[in-house]
Amino acid sequence: MPAVATPALPDLWPPVKIRRGFLGFLRRHPTVAIGSALLIVMIAIALFAPYLGTVDPTTLNTARRTRAPSADFWFGTDMLGRDIYSRVMYGARVSLTVGFSVAICASLIGLAIGLISGMLRFADGFIMRIMDGLMSIPPILLAIALMALTRGSIGNVILAITIAEIPRVSRLVRGVVLSLREQPYVDAAIAAGTRTPLIILRHILPNTLAPMTVQATYICASAMIIEAILSFIGAGVPPITPSWGNIMAEGRSLWQVKPFIVFFPAVFLSLTVLAVNLVGDGLRDALDPRMAKAL
Amino acid sequence: MFAYVVRRIIATIPVMAVVALFVFSLLFIAPGDPAAVIAGDQATPEQIERIRQSLGLDRPFLVQFSEWVWRLLHFDLGRSIFTNLPVTTMIAQRIEPTLSLTLITLVLSVIVAVPIGVLAAWKAGSFVDRAIMGFAVFGFSVPVFVIGYLLAYFFALELEWLPVQGYTPFAHGFVPWLENLILPSIALGCVYIALIARITRATMLEVLQQDYIRTARAKGLAQTPILFIHALKNASVPIVTVIGIGIALLIGGAVVTESVFAIPGLGRLTVDAILRRDYPVIQGIVLLFSFVYVLVNLGVDLIYTLIDPRIRY
Repeated sequence: MPAVATPALPDLWPPVKIRRGFLGFLRRHPTVAIGSALLIVMIAIALFAPYLGTVDPTTLNTARRTRAPSADFWFGTDMLGRDIYSRVMYGARVSLTVGFSVAICASLIGLAIGLISGMLRFADGFIMRIMDGLMSIPPILLAIALMALTRGSIGNVILAITIAEIPRVSRLVRGVVLSLREQPYVDAAIAAGTRTPLIILRHILPNTLAPMTVQATYICASAMIIEAILSFIGAGVPPITPSWGNIMAEGRSLWQVKPFIVFFPAVFLSLTVLAVNLVGDGLRDALDPRMAKAL
Repeated sequence: MFAYVVRRIIATIPVMAVVALFVFSLLFIAPGDPAAVIAGDQATPEQIERIRQSLGLDRPFLVQFSEWVWRLLHFDLGRSIFTNLPVTTMIAQRIEPTLSLTLITLVLSVIVAVPIGVLAAWKAGSFVDRAIMGFAVFGFSVPVFVIGYLLAYFFALELEWLPVQGYTPFAHGFVPWLENLILPSIALGCVYIALIARITRATMLEVLQQDYIRTARAKGLAQTPILFIHALKNASVPIVTVIGIGIALLIGGAVVTESVFAIPGLGRLTVDAILRRDYPVIQGIVLLFSFVYVLVNLGVDLIYTLIDPRIRY
C-alpha cells in the first residue's frame, strides 16, 4: 500500500514572485525578447556577412544566371549571375545602417527642434507652421523628390529619409515639453532660481527620453521600409550595392518565373522590420503603462 | 460653425504655402548641381546648361519662385523635361487608376478595420483580440510590395482567380475594373487596416469604461447596439482623425503598389519620372498629393463638428 503523503496546505497568500532585472523584464515582455533576439541575429548577419559562407556579392557570372536555389547557391542566383544568398546577407548592412542612422539623426534633430519650439514661445508658431507644411508631404514622396535631385548613395538615402521623419519627432517632443512646463517641479525649479539650460537638462530632457526612444524604434522600422521602397523603384542606393530593395528591384521583371529572387530579400526585410516593431511595442508597454493597457 | 469653417479653410493656406516653398526650394538646397544630376552622366555642358535654363536655375531665387507660384495659381505645373508635355496633361492622363486604387482601398480598409477593431476591444484579452492585434503588427511590418507579390503569387499565378497585373479602365466595365484592383487594394490596405484597427480598439477600450455604457447594459440593451451606436459613435473622433492621417500611407504605398501590379497610374508616372530624372513631373506629383492630403485633413476637421456636437470652436 503506497504511503499517502499529507498534502501541503496552500499558502493563504501565495508568494508573488516579481522578477527583477533584465531577465525579469524580458519575461514580462515576451515580445521584446522575441524582437530583440531576431534583431540581434540580423545585426550579427550584418557584422559577420563576410564569414557566413558568402562570396563577393557583386561578382558577375553570366554563365550561371537565374539558377534556382541549390546546395551551391542557397538562395539561387540573379539575372547577372550574382549569388543571392551573399547579396541578402550583405543587404542586412544597408538596411540596418539606414534604419539606425535615420532613427538616431531624426531623433536628435527632432529633439532639438522640439525643445526649441516648446521652450521659446516666440519661435513656436513659426517652427510649427513649417513642420505642419513638411508633414503634409507624404514621407515617401518627400524622400523620392529629394532622391530625384541627388545621386543615389547610402548617405543621401539616409539624409532624405531623415528630413522626411523630422517633423513627426519634433511635434512629439514639443507636445511633451509643453506639458512638462506646467509640472509643479518645473515651477519649483524656476522659483528656486535654476537657470533655464539647467532646467532643460535636468527636468525636461530626461522626461522626453522615454517617448523619444519608442518613437525612434518606429522611425527605424519606417526608415528600413522607405529605403527598400526607394531602392525598389530605382531611387535609392546604387543598383550595384546589395540592398534588399535592390535585389527585389532586379527580380521584379522575372518574379512570375523566378519568384525566389524576390522571395528571400522580402522575407529578411519583413523579419527585420517585424523585430524592430516588436521591440518598439514592448518598449512602449514598459515605458508607458497607460498606453500598454490601451494598445 | 460657419466662422469655424472659414477659419479652418484659411488655416490651410500657410500650410500649402510652406509645401510649395519647400518643394520648390528642393532644387536649390539639394547637394551638388541638380542640373548635372538631372542631365545624367553622359551629358554635354550644353545639355546641362539647357536643363539649367529650362528649370530656371540661372535666375535669382525670388524671381523664379514668384513666377512659379503665379503659374501654379493658374494650374500650370510646367513642362516635362523628357516629353515636353505639360505636367498637368500627364497627370490628367494617369489619374484614373490611382484614384480608383486609393478609393477602393480606403473603402475596403474602413469596412474591414473598424469592425475588427471594435471586436478586439469587445473581446479584449481574448484569443480573438490577440489574433487581431498580432495581425496589426504584421500589417505594420510587412512592406506593401512584399504583400503584393505574395497575393499575386497565390491568388493570380497559383489559383488563377484574379488577373496577375494590369488595369482596365472603368469605362470598359465595372467587373473587369474591380477584378484588376482587388489584389492591389488588399496589398495597399494592410498597413492602413492595421493602423485604423489599432486606434479603433484603443479608443473603444476607453469608451467602454464609461458610465453611459454601463447604463446601457443595465437597461438591457443588446451588445450590438451598445458597441456600434453608443460606443463607436463616441469613439469616432480619433478614428476619423487616423483615417485622415493614414491617407499619407495610402498615397506613398500607391506608388509602390502600382509598380508591383503594373497599373499605369500616377505611381508609375513617378517611377518613370525618377528613372528619367524628370524633375518637373516629380514636383507636380508631390504638390498634387500634398494638396490632396491637406484637403482630406481639412475635410476630417470639418467632419468633427458633424459627428461630435460637443466640438465647437
